[in-house]
Amino acid sequence: MTEQPIPAMLPLSPADIRGRRQWPLPKLADPNAPLLEVRDLKTHFRLGRAWVRAVDGVSFGLADGEALGIAGESACGKTTTALSMVQLLPGNGKIRGGSVELFGIDLVQKSERAMQRYRWREISMVFQGAMNALNPVIRVRDQIAEPIQYRLDQPEGAARQRAIDLLDMVGIPRKRADAYPHELSGGMRQRAMIAMALACDPAIVIGDEPTTALDVMVQAQILDLLERLRRDLGLSLILITHDLSVLAETCDRVLVMYAGRVAEEGPVRRIFTAPRHPYTRKLVGSFPNLHTDRRSLAVIQGQPPDLLTPPPGCRFAPRCDFAMPVCTEVVPPEVRFSDGVRVACHLFPTSDIATVGGSTLEGSTLGDMTQR
Amino acid sequence: MSELLRVSGLQVHFPIRRALGDVVRGRAASAVRAVDGIDLSIQEGEVLALVGESGSGKTTTGRVIVKLTRQTAGRVTFDGQDVTDLWGTRRLRAYRRRVQLIFQDPYETLDPKQTIHDFVAEPLEVNHIGRSAAEREVMIASALEAAGLRPAASYASRHPHELSGGQRQRVVIAGALAVGPELVVADEPVSMLDVSIRTELLRLMLDLRKERHLTYLFITHDLSIAWVIADRIAVMYLGKIMEIGPANRVISVPRHPYTAALVSVAPSPEPPAPGERAKRTILVGETPDASAIPAGCRFNTRCPLVFDRCRVEEPPLIDLGDGQSAACWLAEQATSTGGIADMLPNARRPLGLASPAAQRLASQAAL
Repeated sequence: MTEQPIPAMLPLSPADIRGRRQWPLPKLADPNAPLLEVRDLKTHFRLGRAWVRAVDGVSFGLADGEALGIAGESACGKTTTALSMVQLLPGNGKIRGGSVELFGIDLVQKSERAMQRYRWREISMVFQGAMNALNPVIRVRDQIAEPIQYRLDQPEGAARQRAIDLLDMVGIPRKRADAYPHELSGGMRQRAMIAMALACDPAIVIGDEPTTALDVMVQAQILDLLERLRRDLGLSLILITHDLSVLAETCDRVLVMYAGRVAEEGPVRRIFTAPRHPYTRKLVGSFPNLHTDRRSLAVIQGQPPDLLTPPPGCRFAPRCDFAMPVCTEVVPPEVRFSDGVRVACHLFPTSDIATVGGSTLEGSTLGDMTQR
Repeated sequence: MSELLRVSGLQVHFPIRRALGDVVRGRAASAVRAVDGIDLSIQEGEVLALVGESGSGKTTTGRVIVKLTRQTAGRVTFDGQDVTDLWGTRRLRAYRRRVQLIFQDPYETLDPKQTIHDFVAEPLEVNHIGRSAAEREVMIASALEAAGLRPAASYASRHPHELSGGQRQRVVIAGALAVGPELVVADEPVSMLDVSIRTELLRLMLDLRKERHLTYLFITHDLSIAWVIADRIAVMYLGKIMEIGPANRVISVPRHPYTAALVSVAPSPEPPAPGERAKRTILVGETPDASAIPAGCRFNTRCPLVFDRCRVEEPPLIDLGDGQSAACWLAEQATSTGGIADMLPNARRPLGLASPAAQRLASQAAL
């Protein structure tokens, strides 16, 4: 496979990238607004008379052409965050606070009918189980043509042609376009899911564990494909995974979630090489990799808290090696560092921030703190 | 250490039923050659990892060893005794007490209506292990605690839905341990679990090896998991072993291009610098159909280093010394520090194999 060198990050101005769109921006869009801005999102699930606080105050932004990875254990709210953005929550789920602004338009306030203008056309999703997400009795080509036909008012023939082009683009040969999902391999089905997500030329594609059930080599192929599509189509990506290692080579920034909140967020290299939050550090240390001493993996003891009655203070405190009295009482404030990382942990009090300069940043990582 | 298990010349072919039309036209009957002639031996107390993609035959090999699938040809020897044709004999039951299987999916292995206690008790009852009910209770409790479910009493009466994925897999492990096996065939035991939980279970399995003198055949598609747990790694592709050897040799000095490609796509701890690209060898296409295995070397359709001989003649497993063997015509030439990875197209770039860390590792191995 000949690979062209990838250009430096964001070679194009936002206007250039938006210029590649095949369809105009939504009417209310503010061309100068950031692409996506999620503020203090709170999505809870009703359980009897109580609420399970699955997502409890999550904020992040996504720039044009950027790839953001969201990592965390099962049940930390990553998928709920994604489903809130496209408002595909199950019946007992409700967004109880915060906003999701796309081009400056708050999607949380939109009715289901109005939301249809944005779902798939502006934000689309690639789901985990490709076999469950595809309709087994409809040809792959026709499944992809459907949204093009109805959402974008294209004639049937043109929609079908575009579907075949999309399949070709993601690496499914034209002659296989009329296959049924069961006739395709797992990797092929995942490619078809990606083609479907691209059907309406969205600005943002959310991949919810897009490679989790796949073989390692197929996983590498799919990640490579996503990277290429991002570059060629000017897409913005959000990749959700429990496997932090998937994000290392695909994302620009990583957001680590724990129990419905943001633990740490920052540029991918900082998260991997100088994690600050104790949870991030464990997470980075726990994935097996071929380049370290093989028996030195970190173990995260215990289990995530029950979000029906989350512990007061820091939600990671019961499992944290560095827990202090204050951790179980006060919710840690978010601290921003000058290298672009933000952390919610009492080990980094807001008052210290003044002392953290660009040159001393290396010394402020957790690894060094423990040695002091 | 003595040899516990030996598999020689194992073949498992699943016949494909011919349609009437094919019979009339005189088309020959074909078969899916899931396992196509492999030799393995596992020493007592060893962890051998069988690594391969879907369709490589790794699970079928495991199933033949635990006697869930019949072999087409070849022999299996366990503890010096031939166990190839145990079917329908009394010795099969005795054999199964000594060889246990852990499946991939803890959600499907456990019966949702059965309590944890009953799940672990069942193999004891079936095998008539333990003289009295009281003795069995002790064995159940000790198996649960050994699997990290402490105190056993607080878990025994629970049902699977009350447990997390990691705890369920511990229950499955407890069930396998209860009968006191010597060999455990673990088929992707951590693949369904979160990465953060995998570590704990791998560590548990390593601890149990010491405490209970277990030997593992560890089946996985993920080379990095094999690296964590295994003493030796065997890499399978389309029903044959491509490379086998001590874990650190196979990882740091791979001698088969397939192994080298798997190593290069394994996750790296250091993300590439902005604007850089990780040096990976991503194989094009998919594993061919096991009912139509390519002529010559079966890897030749995807191999980046393929040349004429590969398309005609299938390479045998070539002994390369230090317990390492590879089935590749180039294996004997690939003697540089990075093994055959140095010959792969992407690896010639300045950073080498996958990361600076990989290079350090490779150079240490050479010293």
